[in-house]
Amino acid sequence: MIRVLFFGPVAERVGSRDMQMQFEPGITLQDIATRIQSEHTSALDIVSFIAVNNQQTRDMQLPLTDNDEIAFMAKFSGG
Amino acid sequence: MKLPSWQSSPVAEMRAAVRLQPEDFSVDEELAALRASSKCMGGIATFVGCARDFSEGRAVSEINFDAYPSMAEAEMKKLRAEAIEKFALLDARIVHRVGTVKAGDSIVLIATGAEHRAAALQACHWLIDELKKRVPIWKKEITPQGDSWVTPHP
Repeated sequence: MIRVLFFGPVAERVGSRDMQMQFEPGITLQDIATRIQSEHTSALDIVSFIAVNNQQTRDMQLPLTDNDEIAFMAKFSGG
Repeated sequence: MKLPSWQSSPVAEMRAAVRLQPEDFSVDEELAALRASSKCMGGIATFVGCARDFSEGRAVSEINFDAYPSMAEAEMKKLRAEAIEKFALLDARIVHRVGTVKAGDSIVLIATGAEHRAAALQACHWLIDELKKRVPIWKKEITPQGDSWVTPHP
């Protein structure tokens, strides 16, 4: 399984803080984003950062592995 | 959607130099911990971010902070290590609250100690600026007109 996390404004748009997605060999970050967008239109419009296993990435073609943890995040506003 | 209820982590109870925590922090205790780390410290700089009771012309009663805890703490630790290296600090501490912070209460503490004041002051300024850009924390202002997530300021 792939665990997808949402925080703050993105979680509010998705209506959930996390979801599980079935891992399939060859699945990419883009595939996960597309699935989320198909169910939650515009939820990812405010996403500025994506992390896979706590490491930020911009590579949407990144192949995922089973048990990966992905976070879709809006711009940070701490401090 | 309800935000998670934050609880003290064992890390916070050990008074780690870098931590996220729901409860308020004591600036005096943090400074005492910083000073205890070295007697070579000639200057200490602090920044305390506070919750204002207004924002863009609206009253704000409280602010809710959400965070990606594992990544936020990892990034804060990285920032501390970078600051110590970049400014030749003797020590640094970073504490950020999560959950609900009432207007007037403290949000974040940065404390830096160096042999001389210039390094401590520059590092403190650099750390809060970098924290805002790099640490996955989000704030939501609670106002009589409704709640709104804050768009980051430069």
